[in-house]
Amino acid sequence: MTAVSNLAPAHAVASLRDCTRRYPGVLALDNATFAVAAGEVRALLGKNGAGKSTLIRMLTGAEIPDTGSVTIDGVELSGSGSTRAQDSFQKGVRVVYQELSLVPGMTLAENLFLGRWPRKGGVIRYADMEAQAREAMAQLGLDLPPDRLVAGLSPAERQLLEIARAMLGRPKLIILDEPTSSLAAAEADKVMAAVTRVAAQGIVVIYVSHRMNEIRQIAHSATIMRDGRIIDTVDVKGADTREIVRLMLGSEASQAAALEDRSQPGIVLEVHDLALAPKLSSVSFSLRQGEVLGIAGLLGSGRTELLQAIMGVRPFDSGDVRIGKQSVRSAGYKDMIARGFGYTPESRKEEGIVPLLGVDENTLSTNFSGVSRKGILSSRRMAEATRKIVDRLHIKTARTDTPIGTLSGGNQQKVVIGRWVYAGSRVLLLDEPTRGVDVEAKAQIYSIIRQLAAEGRSIIFVSSEIEELPLVCDRVLVLRDGTLQDEFKSPHIDQDSLMAACISGH
Amino acid sequence: MSLDHAAKPAVSDKPKTARLAFSQHMNEVSLFLAILVLYLIFASTAPGFISFNNQVNILRDAATIGIAAWAVTLIIIAGEIDVSVGPMVAFISVSLAFLLQWGLPTPFAFVVAIAFGAFLGAISGVLRAYFDVPSFVATLGMWSALRGTALFVTDALPVSIGRNDMLDALDRSVFGIPPAAIIMLVLFAAFAFVSRKTAFGRSVFAIGGNPHAAFLSGISVSRIRVGLFAIGGAMAAISGILLVSRLGSGNATAASGLEFDVIAAVVVGGTALSGGRGSMLGTLLGVLVITLIGNGLVLLGINPFFQQVVRGLIIVIAVLANIQAIKRSLSRNKG
Repeated sequence: MTAVSNLAPAHAVASLRDCTRRYPGVLALDNATFAVAAGEVRALLGKNGAGKSTLIRMLTGAEIPDTGSVTIDGVELSGSGSTRAQDSFQKGVRVVYQELSLVPGMTLAENLFLGRWPRKGGVIRYADMEAQAREAMAQLGLDLPPDRLVAGLSPAERQLLEIARAMLGRPKLIILDEPTSSLAAAEADKVMAAVTRVAAQGIVVIYVSHRMNEIRQIAHSATIMRDGRIIDTVDVKGADTREIVRLMLGSEASQAAALEDRSQPGIVLEVHDLALAPKLSSVSFSLRQGEVLGIAGLLGSGRTELLQAIMGVRPFDSGDVRIGKQSVRSAGYKDMIARGFGYTPESRKEEGIVPLLGVDENTLSTNFSGVSRKGILSSRRMAEATRKIVDRLHIKTARTDTPIGTLSGGNQQKVVIGRWVYAGSRVLLLDEPTRGVDVEAKAQIYSIIRQLAAEGRSIIFVSSEIEELPLVCDRVLVLRDGTLQDEFKSPHIDQDSLMAACISGH
Repeated sequence: MSLDHAAKPAVSDKPKTARLAFSQHMNEVSLFLAILVLYLIFASTAPGFISFNNQVNILRDAATIGIAAWAVTLIIIAGEIDVSVGPMVAFISVSLAFLLQWGLPTPFAFVVAIAFGAFLGAISGVLRAYFDVPSFVATLGMWSALRGTALFVTDALPVSIGRNDMLDALDRSVFGIPPAAIIMLVLFAAFAFVSRKTAFGRSVFAIGGNPHAAFLSGISVSRIRVGLFAIGGAMAAISGILLVSRLGSGNATAASGLEFDVIAAVVVGGTALSGGRGSMLGTLLGVLVITLIGNGLVLLGINPFFQQVVRGLIIVIAVLANIQAIKRSLSRNKG
C-alpha cells in the first residue's frame, strides 16, 4: 500500500488519495489511493462489488468521496453535483460504458457528434462533420463511410465508434468498462488493436476486464480491488494468473463442505456439439437426474445463449439436444415446457415478472387450468396453490395477491422459480438466479435449489459469482471461448481454480 | 422466531394493504364523483335532463359506445390499440342489410354478421401478432378500407331492409329500457368476469404488463392477441346489428368518429394506454361520463361546434385529474 501512495507523484494524470465512500450498509471504497501516470495502460481487476465502478465514478466526478481527494491533471476536483462531473470532463476524463449509447437510426458521423453537431445558423454542416468523423475513426483503424447508419454495424464496430467518440477533444484519460464482454474472440481483437492505438497517442487508459489474455496483451500493470480496497498493483509481465486470482478472492476463499450428492444415474438431458455463432462453437454435456450442474463463465461467454438454445427460444446453428433418445432440436419453447423444462431469465425485471399482477398470477401463469373449474379461475384454488408455493419457497408476502412489483428482488426471484415448481417441471434452467438479491435471500435460494434437486429435479445453475458455485453445485463446467473447458466435481470445486479457469486465455 | 416473522408483517401491513386497496379503486371512486357532479350540474341547468325519457336516451347512447368499449378496454390493457371501430360498425350494418335483402333468415344473418366482424378483426390481430405490424397501423388500414368499401358498394346511400319483426323487437323497450342497454349491461358483466376470472383475461393483463415475461411463462401471446382483435370485431358487429335495428337500414356513413368516443371512454376510465393496467368498471364509468357530457350539452342547447370544444376540454381535464389523484395516493402509500 505504501509503495502505491509513493507512486503518486506530480506527473500522475489522475489520482485518488485516501478516498472513502460509504453507502447505506456498504463500504464501497475503503481508504483507496490510486494513481495512473502518463503513457500508462492500467488494468483494473476485481469481482462484482469490489469497488471498481465506485472508483471510476470518483475519477469522472459522478461521486464525491466522503473523505479523501481526487486529483485530475494536477488539479484537485472541488465542485459538487454536475459541476464536478463537468470539471473532470474538461480536464480530459472520458468513460466508455458497457451499455452502448448509440442511436441506431442515425449515421456514424451524427452519432459521433451527437448533440454537438458542427453547425452554422442552426444547419448542420455535414461535409465538415463527416470529414472530422472520418479522421476520428481512422485514428482507431475504423475505416467506414461516415454516412452509414449505425444499425448496420457489428458489435465490435459499435464499440470502436464509442471509443472514437470518447477520443474527440483530445482527452487525457479514457476508462473502458469491459469493452469486450459482449464480443466474440475475433471481434475483441479489433477493439484491442484500437486500444493499443489510443495508448500510442499518449492517452492514459484504464481497462476494466477479466480476460487475462487481453490484459497481458495491452496492459503494463494491473490494480486489483477487493471489498472496496486497493489490494495491490502488480506488473502484468511478472504476475501469474493464479496469483492475481488469489488477490481478487482473498484468503477467505476456501473449499466448501462437500454437498450431499443425490444425483441418480439417469440422464435427463444431453447436449452434443451445440454451436451458435458467434458465441458458442461446440458445447457438449449431459445432465443427470437430481443433479445441480453449475455453468461458470465471464460476462458475454455465451451462458444465456446456451440456456436459450436448449429451451428452443433461440435457434442454434448445429449440434443436437436430446431428451432420452429423442432429439428435441426442432422443439419450440412450448414443447420444452410440455416436456417438463422450466427457464428463469437473467433479467428478472425485463423478462421475469409482470410487476402489476399479484404473486398468485405471476406464479400460476404457467398453468392457469390447474386452478380453474370449467375454464373459470377459482379464487380459492388460486390462493391455495399459491400459498403452497409461498410456504415451500419461504416467499415473504403479506397476501397471495400482493402485486409482485412491491416485493424485494429475492422474493420476486423465488416466485419466478416457484412458477416452475408449480408447473411440475423436472428440469430447471436458472440463469443468474441470485443477481441483484440480498445475502439472506441468496442463502435461501441456494437451499431451495438443493431441496429441489433432492426431490429428483435436475438443475442447471448459471452464475457469474464464482463464490456461490461451490455452495450449490454437484458439478461445475466452465464456459470459455465458445466451449466447455474444465469440469470440477464437488467437493473439489474451489474458487481459485474456478476463477483461474474462467479468466485465463487460450 | 418463525412466530415473530409471521406476526409482525401481518400487523404492520394491515393499514397499508387497506390503503393500497383504496388507491386501486381511487380511480373508480373519483369517476363516480365526477358523474355525480355532472348529474348535479345538468339537472339544475338543462331542462328535461332528469326526465325518465332522457335517462333512457342516455342508456341507449351509452350502449353504442359501451359495447365496443368493453373489447377495446381489453385490447388497450394488452398494450394494443384498435381505431377501426366506427367503420367496422358501419360496414357490418351494410353487410347485414345486404344479407337480409338476399333473404337470409334473420338469426342466421346475425350469426354471419358477428362471425364476419370477428374475422375482419382477426385480420388486424394476425398482422399484429405474426407479422409485427403495429396494431395502430393495422387497424388504421382497416379503418380506411372498411369505410371505403361500405361507401363504394352503397354509394353512401342507406340500404333498406324492409319490414323485419326481429329487428323491430330489438328496438322496442322492455319495461321502458331499450334492449341495446340490456345487451350492453349483459356484455359488461361477461367482460368483467372474463377479465378477472379466466385464464384468457389474466393473460391479457400479463401480456400488457410484460410481454416477455408472459411469453417465458408459457402464455400463448400471439394467439391471445389475435383473439382480442377478433373479439373487438365481434363487438363492433353487435353494435352494427343494433344500429340497423335503430335506423331500419344499413348505413355506410354511420358511426363516424365512434372510435374516438370509445378510446376516450376507455382512457377516461383509467386504463393506461401503455398497457397492463385498467378495469372494466372504470370503462363503464368512463362511458357514462362521455355519454352524459354529450347528452347534457345538447339539452343545454349549446352550439354543436362549440360542444366539441367543451367535450375535448372535459375529457382532458378528467384524465388529468385522474392521473394526479393516482399519483398523490401512490406517493402517500410510499411515505
